[in-house]
Amino acid sequence: MAEEEEKGYRWETEYERTWEAIQEDEKGSLQASVDDIISKAKKRKLLEKIKNVRLGMMRHLFLIIDMSEAMSDQDLKPTRLLSTLKLLEYFVEEYFDQNPISQLGIIITKNKRAEKVSELGGNPRRHITTLQSLADKVCHGEPSLQNSLELAHQTLRHMPGHASREVLVVMGSLTTCDPDNIISTISMLRDGNVRCSVIGLAAEVCVCKKLCKETHGSYSVILDECHFKDLLTQHVTPPPATASTESSLIRMGFPHHQLSADKEERPSMCMCHLDSKNSQGFSSTGYFCPQCKSKYCELPIECKACGLTLVSAPHLARSYHHLFPLDQFREIPTAQVGSNVLCFSCQTAVQELNVYICDNCERIYCLDCDLFIHETLHSCPGCASSRQTQQSAKMAGFS
Amino acid sequence: MKLNIDGLLVYFPYDYIYPEQYMYMLELKKSLDAKGHCALEMPSGTGKTISLLSLIVAYMKANPLEVTKLIYCSRTVPELEKVVAELKNLMDYYEQQLGKGKPKILGLALSSRKNLCINPEVSQERDGKNVDALCHKLTASFVRANHKRDATVPVCSFYESYDAHGKEMPLPEGVYGLDELQEYGRKKGFCPYFLARHAITHANIVVYSYYYLLDPKIAEVVSKELSKNAVVVFDEAHNIDNVCIESMSIKITRRTLDKCQQNIDGLSKQIQRLKDCDAERLKTEYQKLVQGLRDANIARETDVILANPVLPDDVLKEAVPGNIRTAEHFLGFMKRFLEYMKIRLRVQHVVSESPPSFLKDCYQKVCIERKPLRFCAERLNSMMRTLELVEIHDFSALSLLCHFATLVSTYAKGFVLIIEPFDDRTPTISNPILHFSCMDASIAIKPVFDRFQTVVITSGTLSPLEMYPRILDFRPVTMATFTMTLARTCICPMVVSKGNDQVAMTSKYETREDVAVIRNYGNLLVEFCSIVPDGIVCFFTSYIYMESTVAAWYEQGILDQVQKHKLLFIETQDAAETSLALLNYQKACENGRGAVLLSVARGKVSEGIDFDHHFGRAVIMFGIPYVYTQSKILKARLEYLRDQYQIRENDFLTFDAMRHAAQCVGRALRGKTDYGIMVFADKRFARADKRSKIPRWIQEYLKDGLCNLSVDEAVQVSKRFLRQMAQPFSREDQLGLSLLTVEQLDQEDTKKKLQSRMQYV
Repeated sequence: MAEEEEKGYRWETEYERTWEAIQEDEKGSLQASVDDIISKAKKRKLLEKIKNVRLGMMRHLFLIIDMSEAMSDQDLKPTRLLSTLKLLEYFVEEYFDQNPISQLGIIITKNKRAEKVSELGGNPRRHITTLQSLADKVCHGEPSLQNSLELAHQTLRHMPGHASREVLVVMGSLTTCDPDNIISTISMLRDGNVRCSVIGLAAEVCVCKKLCKETHGSYSVILDECHFKDLLTQHVTPPPATASTESSLIRMGFPHHQLSADKEERPSMCMCHLDSKNSQGFSSTGYFCPQCKSKYCELPIECKACGLTLVSAPHLARSYHHLFPLDQFREIPTAQVGSNVLCFSCQTAVQELNVYICDNCERIYCLDCDLFIHETLHSCPGCASSRQTQQSAKMAGFS
Repeated sequence: MKLNIDGLLVYFPYDYIYPEQYMYMLELKKSLDAKGHCALEMPSGTGKTISLLSLIVAYMKANPLEVTKLIYCSRTVPELEKVVAELKNLMDYYEQQLGKGKPKILGLALSSRKNLCINPEVSQERDGKNVDALCHKLTASFVRANHKRDATVPVCSFYESYDAHGKEMPLPEGVYGLDELQEYGRKKGFCPYFLARHAITHANIVVYSYYYLLDPKIAEVVSKELSKNAVVVFDEAHNIDNVCIESMSIKITRRTLDKCQQNIDGLSKQIQRLKDCDAERLKTEYQKLVQGLRDANIARETDVILANPVLPDDVLKEAVPGNIRTAEHFLGFMKRFLEYMKIRLRVQHVVSESPPSFLKDCYQKVCIERKPLRFCAERLNSMMRTLELVEIHDFSALSLLCHFATLVSTYAKGFVLIIEPFDDRTPTISNPILHFSCMDASIAIKPVFDRFQTVVITSGTLSPLEMYPRILDFRPVTMATFTMTLARTCICPMVVSKGNDQVAMTSKYETREDVAVIRNYGNLLVEFCSIVPDGIVCFFTSYIYMESTVAAWYEQGILDQVQKHKLLFIETQDAAETSLALLNYQKACENGRGAVLLSVARGKVSEGIDFDHHFGRAVIMFGIPYVYTQSKILKARLEYLRDQYQIRENDFLTFDAMRHAAQCVGRALRGKTDYGIMVFADKRFARADKRSKIPRWIQEYLKDGLCNLSVDEAVQVSKRFLRQMAQPFSREDQLGLSLLTVEQLDQEDTKKKLQSRMQYV
């Protein structure tokens, strides 16, 4: 009951003008216009990908989550905070899936202060539990953009020059309560090569726009939950590297996971949990640095003892598709191909107006398969099914 | 781009053009062809200035005999600078397109000595009046004559060298803003102010303030020799009637009269001294006055100069009456008149009378006739010249009295005399004031309409247009209003008429003290503070109302809630304080803290300060800004308007209130990439008579569904609007819709579409 009262009754919450979001097309039908918008949006996102650009593959990203009073607003269901946390969980998973050799940390800001709730690290599970624990906390006070940026910068400053440094702010509040002039912080971030992006939950705030523009990040404001998710997904793919990022050859170690097959091996603390009070990380298994033999329980990580970057081979392979994305398929009207066209990958008759053809193997796909191939698979099944086309596709990728 | 406007080749310095600019030029061309006047309304931020300039310059180029001059009048110095910058841009484009063949155009800005003076000692003064006085001290003709005799008398070297060489050497063609004039002056060692004043007679484009044309005292000196074939543009002209009235009205207090007494004493001493040493000079003056002001009359008949309303035509034809011809007689005459005025100010109750009854009373009491009174202003001027007075500034009180005498005896109609024994707010303190108030705006502007072939009255908010020709008494050939073509709906006007508790919100006099109304207004502000980013500007109807409301909000704890989201700034009557508040307001908007500015319609903030982009994402009008209706002057004016022009009191009051409301909300939107919410928080705004007087470009988006909202509904609408507006918006989105290329302009269907953007009145 107590909880109910806090949220207020349904009829006390806001007016929703759902009918205004839908627009009729010329014939008075609703569905066509909506479909059109959706497919256009899907396609546009793909087209934005540019090939052969140097990307910052080793990302160090700090998520800054606003936990001020504005986040308890109910215009996202059930509240802005809960909705945000839910989407961020998805984002974290997706982030590590697409950027295996990257790291992430979480900062929250409320009551004019900033607090680091999760250190920079490569373990998605740890971040997700942190996010889940945030759901129980209360939102109050004003956020401080400056304090949280400074906090993020303190850590990011020490990251190596070849890695990309990024900050993503999810901001519900329209005000920020700062101790000092934020403009100087912005120029400090710009000089430190930190790319700051902001997702606003309510409206366009001038200072955020300025921050993003100065640091070459992107600024966007959500329309609704779906749009919010889309915007978050845009931050999953690595951004192009800035000219000032160093290019260097990196020494990497590929440690094997050693199980405690050897009976003589004694359990020991791993390096990543040395400071923790509980027994977490105390085991006989782990990854051992090939250079100095210090033990770690997760990869990828930078060896604390000798500074070697430790990754596993599949990690690197998974990042590969960002560098050599699959070519766009050609869009042609279905009628041109003939009647009753089957999609090569799902083997169903194509219903839409357009089909997509791979220029290399000349196989036909429907829109959904096209999207699946480009977003998830990153290789064309048609090309992969014969050796000849597979070779030529690979050559095209490297050229 | 090169445009074809109804057969006229117009060079337009941008690659794209807004549809409404094209229409605006078409209309302007029509009135230039017809050699008539016009009134045009086009939203701010759609490039009025450049459209005006490029069309008129092109017209001057094509018809060099018909239009020889453009006089562009604006209100403030920053606005002057903006016009000059646009003009430079246009001339650069001409140069780039035509090279050597570009039209030879001399354009220049003129402002007061304060903004132009380069004399190191004089320009240090901050106050405009002091600069004028110091300048006069160094440049008056008799001072310079003295300097020739005695080299220790200081003169201004810049003026000297200008006088020696500058007059023969015309300014080379080009565009001169205030800075360029100063620079040119420094280089050549000329005085930029006098250089500019001399140059406006042969310049093709003159940019200066309203007052140089409308205020008879200044127009007499500056603008009287401007050519007849000129186009006069009044930009931001929504308040032009008030400017006209102000320039003709006179206020006399007891202090003024005391100063007059001192002036007269001082003058009589001077005369005595002059009589002792140089009686000849007085004699020549007397001879001149017998001849009358014949020279001036000849000048006016040959149509060389602009008529001066303070110096009526028939005065020129007669000789100065005998009883004020000698200097002592004139002073005695003034003394008598002064005594009479002192008696008149000794009143216990408010007196309101017409000029004829004042004159009659004057004749009965002190035997002063109408005729000599009419010559007062001229007579005083002549005496000042004869006496070679240096400190003209010191005699301002006496010259004010003389102006009053001339005006009161010249105009039987259109003026009213109101003598108030005390201020309305402090009824116990005796502080008599005589208001000699002009009620007819057309008196001051009539010479302008009569003399120049085309007068353009334009502004972002001129609604309702049909009112202006009536109160200014002119016949326009075209009156049109243009809306803004927008690629996205970037304004969100709404009428919030009730609070969440359904209590109607209004600033009506009977209910404005109501706690529920004040609380609802407070709630509105708090809600908007929490959803609108960066800056919010609020306008109250008056300072008193703002003070009482803010005090009530403080007690109700509403201010605390506001300050959780934004910082609070308040406009006061003190200009320095207000500009400090504004500065900090802008700072708070910049650094993301957000701010609210509480200000007053008709105050300094509501006119002339732009709140573009993040400086004003929302404007809230708390109530309808009616003018203070109990004022005697206003009542007299309303009566006059009813009798003379058949304008009902209520119509005029609503018109006046709505134009100020439109001015206030228009502050937020200064261009097409900008966006803003406009909240009219008074249920009376939804009524047809008010709604129809909002400018068309706002009315268009004020749908019926947005006319009767509660606070909650308004918040929902605004939230959605703000989210949509925050989506990326690029130039490409505007192309073809609100930005056109030459090819697009030529298409048939765009032409049809364009027509719908405009409406004749």
